[in-house]
Amino acid sequence: MPEKKLNTVLAGIANVGKSVIFNHLTGLHQHIGNWPGKTIEKAEGTLHYKGYTIDVLDLPGIYSLGTYSIEEEISREYITKEKVDFIINIVDSTRLETNLLFTLQLLALQKPVVLALNMMDLSRKKGLSIDCQRLQELLGIPVVPMIATEGKGITEVLDEGIELVKTQKPVLKVQKELTAKERADLSHQICREVIKVTKPKKISWSEKFDNLTCHKIWGYPVMAVILSAMVLTIFRFGGWFSSFLEDITSGWQEGWKTIFGISIWASLGWSAIESAIALIQIALPYIIPFYLLLFLLEDWGYLARVAFLLDNLMHRIGVHGKACIPLMLGFGCNVPACLSCRIMETQRERFITGFLTTLVPCSAVTVIIMGLVGKFVGISWAFGLYLFAILIIFGLGKLASKTLPGEATELIMEMPDYKQPNLKTIVLQTWFRLKDFLYIAGPLVIISGVIIEGIHLAGWLPAIANFLSPITVKWLGLPTITGILLIFGILRKELILVMLATLLGTANFAQVLNPVQMITLALISMLYIPCIATLAALWREFGWKKTLGITGFEIGFAILIGGIAFRILARLF
Amino acid sequence: MTNEISLIKLREGEVAEIISVIGGRMATKRLADLGLILGTKIKVLRKAPLRGPVEIEVRGSRLVLGRGLASKILVHPVK
Repeated sequence: MPEKKLNTVLAGIANVGKSVIFNHLTGLHQHIGNWPGKTIEKAEGTLHYKGYTIDVLDLPGIYSLGTYSIEEEISREYITKEKVDFIINIVDSTRLETNLLFTLQLLALQKPVVLALNMMDLSRKKGLSIDCQRLQELLGIPVVPMIATEGKGITEVLDEGIELVKTQKPVLKVQKELTAKERADLSHQICREVIKVTKPKKISWSEKFDNLTCHKIWGYPVMAVILSAMVLTIFRFGGWFSSFLEDITSGWQEGWKTIFGISIWASLGWSAIESAIALIQIALPYIIPFYLLLFLLEDWGYLARVAFLLDNLMHRIGVHGKACIPLMLGFGCNVPACLSCRIMETQRERFITGFLTTLVPCSAVTVIIMGLVGKFVGISWAFGLYLFAILIIFGLGKLASKTLPGEATELIMEMPDYKQPNLKTIVLQTWFRLKDFLYIAGPLVIISGVIIEGIHLAGWLPAIANFLSPITVKWLGLPTITGILLIFGILRKELILVMLATLLGTANFAQVLNPVQMITLALISMLYIPCIATLAALWREFGWKKTLGITGFEIGFAILIGGIAFRILARLF
Repeated sequence: MTNEISLIKLREGEVAEIISVIGGRMATKRLADLGLILGTKIKVLRKAPLRGPVEIEVRGSRLVLGRGLASKILVHPVK
């Protein structure tokens, strides 16, 4: 009885077009989750082809199958222990020699492999002519030329894979585990035989553009322009889309009250809906453009240039060049900023970067800084707060990198050629990340919204505020009402200001808070705990233990700094 | 006597052969996985300013190495 269900994995080093191929194969039938017990992303999908149901697993882009990183361990374990019918090794034909180093490691695992020689259009443009037949002979595995961005070669790879499974062909040129030197020499020899350079090397537009973007002097202003354009677009689109959604939903609360009244259950029901709406108002307007632009820049190849230019600066805070992207995005919204930490290579760097993004004042915090301190105390104090935030990020970054276990890894990165971004891949990647995030954030936000509303209806808020007063009043010098504000602030930070106005019945905060209190409150809002949506992002990226750790640290840190600030500021005013 | 210098001392456009890699097992292994081993020929393409990373060409690929790591690679310039 022929097996009609097959398992395959996509294996290859970084930047070879794996996601394009994965999307081609699985389209909308894909699911991005986590490897069990770990916070590494796992992308799986299914397709139906010629009567077979084929499950595809997209392995992370790795350079070796050793134990250098968790991704490598996971990959090696999966291939050797799970039922994998055949492996699709995706190879960038423009960098064959480097790619073959990995292929040779893969062959040593003694599973059927089909080599998908991708980017044939680009290697042709570079004047490289590759003898696929000879390569096939030398390696002992089928070699399929492919142009994934045009969908060419994909079905042929599947055909070869199915053929391998059907014939149970023993892997002829069984490669035992070779040493690095043996792999390097063999790869070099193979390439000398199969690659012919047919055109003299001309300077391509990609190279010319690189001379500008990596230029010692001009590279930086160009980067400032591109990144600012990115951040501004996200801000602008985010702001517009946010208001747009607000307008649509503005009458809904009244509508709800009309239908369901104002009983306890009605109010709780509304708070659930309101929380969901709030999440969509936070998440979609900023996350969608963020992901689209991030994947665009990455696909195009620009992110690697950013890492190149900013690496040494980022080293001062214990991370690398690429970390500046999440940090900048944090100014719009911490949520996509935190999720973007996956562009860092190691868990350690991802964690430090993720932690630091929660300290970046997002637009909600900006509402507080500008609306409270900027308006009532003075604009220079408002700027001072931003500066302080940056100093804290640098300071805590240095501290984190010194105290966290593991060594600071050096940047080792391939510099990809610039290429035409593939719109379909970008949109699909965005869609699945968004879905994945909403799955986690949704329940969290709705449940906490309902809980807070429940506390409010039960009349416990004043009691809680009193309970917190030793900290809020005695230590931080703020009015008792602050306790309530800070609890609401967990939902969305701008609620701190919004609730203050609501509870006071006026937006003239100067009547209730003096300058010292305003600055202290803004400071606390900035540092004390990430909003629930950000907590969801942290949870998604790092698991609940680390999220709890960050939360606990930031609460303690905020209280400490707030109290010290209060005492220093009291002397200045 | 071989002329051994650190990779970061090379100028843009210079070609050299790797003699050795000083440093931890991890770094050495990582570099080896990418094909940077004894005898490998590399070419310095670009050096980032402000003590930044170094971009090299090796085995037909372009690789960017952080400054600290690059300084640990000892090379012998060739013509």
